[in-house]
Amino acid sequence: MIRLEEVSKVYKTSTRPALERVSVEVDKGEFVFLIGPSGSGKSTFLRLLLREEVPSKGRVMVSNFDVAKLARRRVPRLRQTIGCVFQDFRLLANKTVAENVAFALEVIGKPRPTIRKVVPEVLELVGLDGKADRLPNELSGGEQQRVAIARAFVNRPLVLLADEPTGNLDPDTSQDIMLLLERINRTGTTVLMATHDHSIVDSMRRRVVELQLGRVIRDDSRGVYGIGR
Amino acid sequence: MRASFVFSEVVTGLRRNVTMTIAMILTTAVSLAMLGGGLLAVRTIDKMKANFLAEVEVSISLVDQVSANDKNCSQQLCGSLRQSLQNNPGVESVVYENRDQAYQRFQKIFASQPELLELTGPEALPASLQVKLKDPDRSDAIIKQYTGQPGVRKVDDQKKFLDRVFNVFNGVRNIAFVMALIMAVAALLLIANTIQVSAFTRRTEVGIMRLVGATRWYTQLPFLLEAVVAGVVGAVLGTVFLLLTKLSFLDSVFTGEVFPQITTLEVLFPVAPILLAVSVVISAITGYVTLRLYVRH
Repeated sequence: MIRLEEVSKVYKTSTRPALERVSVEVDKGEFVFLIGPSGSGKSTFLRLLLREEVPSKGRVMVSNFDVAKLARRRVPRLRQTIGCVFQDFRLLANKTVAENVAFALEVIGKPRPTIRKVVPEVLELVGLDGKADRLPNELSGGEQQRVAIARAFVNRPLVLLADEPTGNLDPDTSQDIMLLLERINRTGTTVLMATHDHSIVDSMRRRVVELQLGRVIRDDSRGVYGIGR
Repeated sequence: MRASFVFSEVVTGLRRNVTMTIAMILTTAVSLAMLGGGLLAVRTIDKMKANFLAEVEVSISLVDQVSANDKNCSQQLCGSLRQSLQNNPGVESVVYENRDQAYQRFQKIFASQPELLELTGPEALPASLQVKLKDPDRSDAIIKQYTGQPGVRKVDDQKKFLDRVFNVFNGVRNIAFVMALIMAVAALLLIANTIQVSAFTRRTEVGIMRLVGATRWYTQLPFLLEAVVAGVVGAVLGTVFLLLTKLSFLDSVFTGEVFPQITTLEVLFPVAPILLAVSVVISAITGYVTLRLYVRH
């Protein structure tokens, strides 16, 4: 589903490569943690998958897309197969929960009847049925992240990228969000989550890819965050 | 493409940034009104040329001896001049106007100024040969040829006078075009700035749109349309400016006697559609270029 082959990324303003000869392969339906300290290259990793950046060297494959070589006008197609969740939720403050989710479908031109049908379904899936007409600032952090996950998932992406999705949440709420991501993973969606959260990684016992200074230093199929950290 | 979605984005965008929107629209309107003024000046010049150039004549006024004695150009001095003119290949027709006819015309022209009529007797006016040329632009040869010939007092080319009038109009036209250009630059910069501000205030939305895989059309069309809508409103306002100027000022000058009238119809067609087209094309191009340069996709 995701394959990086000897990928390096050097930013013009930096002397050290953000990623150096990274090779990782993620199968369909896997749940993978991407860990490492700040500046280890986690964000660059995710941005490469989204074609927010192009690699300096190497090949990035997502589903059938050769991401680096993708023509500009085909980039939206790639992004429609990837859902994204962030630490800061990125909801539109002037739109209700349902509108925020519907927005993701409106802007890719989905017909209105489809939107009306699938938005309540996905809100129910994330446990927000009954809060469709609330505004984001009327919700707790955990609920806001659920809206963001609903928005990322509503178009049934093949891959869900989560960049520190629990970074702003307390441990209990984080646990709920992880359960939700697991549930999404069980539908067959590949989930790739960048995180700093030891306890979550340790309790989930999923595949862990650890980056340090732009290199993969560990790839455990049932890993923990790390010993002595 | 969902029209209702794009349309609501456009309206929100314009309302969010209302002062800039107004500035943008007004500048566009003034620029277009100037352009429209220039276009009307061009039309007026063309119409005047069509009206007058067909009529212009070279007037050869004759010496007193002829003016006093020759009622119908039958005497030798005037007759040979007329013969020579008639044989000239550049001349279309020659008409003799004797002193009495000149005086009658003079009375008609200055009917509203009796003092002037009282002071002027027929003896002050010369008889003349009114020469119509096949090509009014080639009067120089005739003037050169007949100035100083026996019996000729003075050769006047009406076209020279008309040229001065046309020069005034050409000047007005050029000033209007230059002003239009300057205002257009201001309008352009305002459009570019408005789009940038608009894109900045909506960066979260645009960011989300990009992430969920909205095409360039979806993310950028609202901005582009904002510029075009402002352009259209500007063109309408510019046309209204022009019509108001026409009604309040131009109509009293361009009465149709000397200067041809500017009709409302002329302002509405072809000037208004031209302004609209220019405005839409320029604002769309400006919007597109701005988005290319400043807004990442």
